[in-house]
Amino acid sequence: MLSTLIWAPVLGATVIAFLPQFSNSERARQAALAIAIFTLGWTVFLITQFDISNAGLQLQETLPWVEPLGLTYRLGVDGLSLPLVVMNSFLVVIAIYSSDPKINRPRLYYALFLLLGSAVAGAFLAQNLLLFFLFYELELIPLYLLIAIWGGARRGYAATKFLIYTATSGILILAAFFGLTLLTGVSTFDYAALQSQALPLGTQIILLVTLLVGFGIKIPLVPLHTWLPDAHVEASTPTSVLLAGMLLKLGTYGLLRFGLGLFPEAWRVLAPWLAAIAVVNVLYGSFVAIAQTDMKKIVAYSSVGHMGFVILASAAATPLSILAAVGQMVSHGLISALLFLLVGVVYSKTGTRDVTVLRGLLNPERGLPLIGSLMIAGVMASGGIPGMVGFVAEFVVYRSSFSVFPVQTLLCVLGTGLTAVYFLNLVNRAFFGRLPENLANLPRVYWRDRLPSVVMTVLIIFLGLQPSWLYRWSEGTSAALGRLTPSPAISHMAPLPLIETVAVNPPEIELVSTPAFENFQHSALSLE
Amino acid sequence: MSQFLIQTSWWVPGYGLIGALLTLPWSAGLVHRTGPRPAAYFNLLMTALALIHSGALLQAVWNQPPQRLLIPWLKILDLDLSFTLEISVISVGAAIVITALSFLAQFFALGYLEKDWALGRFYALMGFFEAAMSGIVLSDSLFLSYALLEMLTLSTYLLVGFWYAQPLVVTAARDAFLTKRVGDLLLLMGVLVVFTLAGSLNFSDLETWAQTANLAPLTATLLGLALIAGPTGKCAQFPLNLWLDEAMEGPNPASILRNSVVVACGAFVLIKLQPILAISPIALTALMILGTMTAIGASLVAIAQIDIKRALSHTTSAYLGLVFLAVGMQQTDLALLFLFTHAIGKALLFMSIGSVILTTNTQDLTEMGGLAGRMPATTSSFVVGTFASIGLLPLGSLWSMLEWGDSFWSSPWLVGVLLLVNGLTAFNLTRVFGLAFWGEPQIKTRRTPEVPWTMAVPMVSLVIIALLVPVMLLQWHLLPALENINLLLVLLLISSGIVGCGLGGFIYLNSGWAKPVNLVGKPIRDTLAYDFWIEKAYRLSVVLGVVQGSRLTAWLDRYVVDGMVNLVGVVSLFTGESLKYTISGQSRNYLLTVFVGVILTFIALVWSFHFPYSIAQSLFGH
Repeated sequence: MLSTLIWAPVLGATVIAFLPQFSNSERARQAALAIAIFTLGWTVFLITQFDISNAGLQLQETLPWVEPLGLTYRLGVDGLSLPLVVMNSFLVVIAIYSSDPKINRPRLYYALFLLLGSAVAGAFLAQNLLLFFLFYELELIPLYLLIAIWGGARRGYAATKFLIYTATSGILILAAFFGLTLLTGVSTFDYAALQSQALPLGTQIILLVTLLVGFGIKIPLVPLHTWLPDAHVEASTPTSVLLAGMLLKLGTYGLLRFGLGLFPEAWRVLAPWLAAIAVVNVLYGSFVAIAQTDMKKIVAYSSVGHMGFVILASAAATPLSILAAVGQMVSHGLISALLFLLVGVVYSKTGTRDVTVLRGLLNPERGLPLIGSLMIAGVMASGGIPGMVGFVAEFVVYRSSFSVFPVQTLLCVLGTGLTAVYFLNLVNRAFFGRLPENLANLPRVYWRDRLPSVVMTVLIIFLGLQPSWLYRWSEGTSAALGRLTPSPAISHMAPLPLIETVAVNPPEIELVSTPAFENFQHSALSLE
Repeated sequence: MSQFLIQTSWWVPGYGLIGALLTLPWSAGLVHRTGPRPAAYFNLLMTALALIHSGALLQAVWNQPPQRLLIPWLKILDLDLSFTLEISVISVGAAIVITALSFLAQFFALGYLEKDWALGRFYALMGFFEAAMSGIVLSDSLFLSYALLEMLTLSTYLLVGFWYAQPLVVTAARDAFLTKRVGDLLLLMGVLVVFTLAGSLNFSDLETWAQTANLAPLTATLLGLALIAGPTGKCAQFPLNLWLDEAMEGPNPASILRNSVVVACGAFVLIKLQPILAISPIALTALMILGTMTAIGASLVAIAQIDIKRALSHTTSAYLGLVFLAVGMQQTDLALLFLFTHAIGKALLFMSIGSVILTTNTQDLTEMGGLAGRMPATTSSFVVGTFASIGLLPLGSLWSMLEWGDSFWSSPWLVGVLLLVNGLTAFNLTRVFGLAFWGEPQIKTRRTPEVPWTMAVPMVSLVIIALLVPVMLLQWHLLPALENINLLLVLLLISSGIVGCGLGGFIYLNSGWAKPVNLVGKPIRDTLAYDFWIEKAYRLSVVLGVVQGSRLTAWLDRYVVDGMVNLVGVVSLFTGESLKYTISGQSRNYLLTVFVGVILTFIALVWSFHFPYSIAQSLFGH
């Protein structure tokens, strides 16, 4: 069942790449879209098959592959990967839909896009370390080509930088995986078999640091991040959507699955450092974003900042904070994808992304009023305004991390304020003000330009109002993962040393129930 | 029936939201044929429904103990984010005040924004605004209140930025958002701490917790200050007062609400937080210092303004400073009463000057004059608004000020602050009256007919309400019994009002004085006119710090972090380029290279085996 998510796009990509009918770009787009929608539909079907009360791996598939190497084709999904798989299928649809309808070399383009989606899904589903690594590397090829062929002016530089960085990341991860199997003496790379290893703490820490650097390039952690702004600036809009929405999540997913999952004890030792890096990420990313003038760079650096929240929550490693990390991954994926989509529309209509040049785009007659309104919604979601998913996700991150890393959490809260600064600057400069003459004759914005952003905005608001739809999938798995580190860093950072007593008995209040809400929640929870 | 009303009390904020959603077809430009008016009507209808619903709700809860309504929202693992709403006479009464003023302001906007193409968007924002405010007063959960305060921040930003094509509006909207956001973020930190310490965010739980909480003084103080910060931003108190003044660039109907009930919402949350603040005496003291500074400072600043809206908005800050003082002295009921009378008086004043601005097309007091004879309804509402806002005639504010002074009778300096604020406000309002309504007409005030009925009707209705406020207070048993009235205080209040008005009248109603009047020297006047240079102070401290810090970080990012990466790239390219010249085609050179290479490798190998070994030896001894 899970294989369909990987092989349907591959099959589709093969067909599109090799049948001459698809050199018509519109036809290729439709075919790719059909395949992506089929994959999305299949993902939805998988959701209905998913049992949220089960914390372990579900819908597993196992095929022997290269036994002497310990490589088996083993797939499975649990609460940690399901939301990401769903978001991947969804964003692939959005990205393909928002691709330029008159793109050059459509067969190659759409085939690469489908391959990219399939490789990312494979990486999320793989339950064999070597298989994960294969998918993790496989995803590089289409993404490299997508940037290098359809990118902007400095695409060669950006694509090569991306390739070298991410290949290094892959090598480090592979080294850590090999080290783990060699040192434990297990003859397989299966995740489940390696989970119960008992290596000395020092060895664990070395392996974990290797993994951290490896995945840290992908997330990206400061100072390993410089490939990201370049790649984003040069990549086309749909590529940016997938890059920010999904590819970065591979890093944090990998950290949680393989870092925390395989080395829980070492994780506890490194967690304070990781939390400190998270703070650096948040503040550094935000500060750099304030000084940027290219809209895409602002959004790219905001990604650096917002991934810091995921790292903070991962470092805390309590059941709730793992859940918060998953929520923040989805939230950031949706919001940054929306922002990149909108920046893409602005760029395609005005020909520039420079906020010092753009002005007054909210103009109702000759500007881009709806795109501007959605942009305001998007930046507010990113800045953590309630009613949208960014607020819930960040609040849960703060709430769960605060008991473990109080100071670091409060510093990260400052990052939310800085987010408001740079995004408000973006909106104020580009969308407010009077539309200058040189921007007065913008091309028309069609509904096909707006539709992806509208859908994303609706989703962001929906999840912001009904966040249980965001979190319910991962509760069991997060609880299981969070329990791996026995009472994490709390032990040496007792919840605020300044407090003497904490206990409180909530008073007995007679509460009036609200049947309407309860029924709604009930129906939501009994959807299974 | 009453149970049904209570169970559906969460609809009250919902109406505004529905109204906002209903305007979408017009504000998004999908419907052109009808013009934006239907959007306005939908919103008015929804607000009326909210008003009726909350009125019926008040009937149902009258003389009842407060009821709490549980709304489950998010329950994951050990985190339970459910809201409770408190349905009590006070909260529902506050909701009525909000929906009623919102209704009047929206009615007023029908005329004020008649020719504006974005009427639909305006009403959408007003609906959103109203929903957030009525949610705040009904909320019994700090989490919900915090979320709604953030929504207020957003809608203030959008409402102030309504005419976003004007440069002043753009900076005003940005400043409003960022200033409030600073307060909100500190509040968020406080919320996180409280949540972790108390384990619940319901105000009633927090109150119980606060009674027994045993916090270290430092924690309690920091917590208290963080919790104060949010309301400080919302109520435009020093040092987060900058935005309210700039926000006057926005459309006037929103200013009506902003100066009357939006600031009150911030104070409402503060009142709810009061039990936690009471843990820390320092926090309470800080609250009182902020309140006093703002009350006196803003009253003075108001007098130096020539923008008619700004002259009034600073008095809002000043009055809210008095509310802060009341909360600091743990007199929350008093604070509520004060908020109520202030809201009515200030809303009326803002409606009146809204009419003035629309008719004269200016906000500059120096360009006005002589409106009294031409705009009778507007003039009379300004006069009633003035008397409803100061302690002179027995309208609303005299009674609330009386209660205020009576509670603090034992500390003379607080009574002094009250009298000073009253006197200065009386002076300021008389000054505005003199400049705008009295004297000779100027160019812009020559052709000034009375406003159309869409604006006059809400204005006159509010005049009636303001006149009826003492009757309402009597009905609610909020007036002191006749024999308990502190006559000396009444005398002091009235005389401070008379002194203020008299002095103002003597200077500004007197055609003998040449305007502008130079009361104090230029340095003092400029200091007051520029709000104690607080904007400049911000620009030189926080703004400069963030801008320079971000530039430095960006420079580091580009030239150090990324520079290193590029350096590695360039070095490897360069070595490759140079090495290619060793390809000469002569085999003896190749042999030599191989030989040297082998030797170097050998040395490196030997060294690499020895080096870690020697390090290990030096580390572990053996």
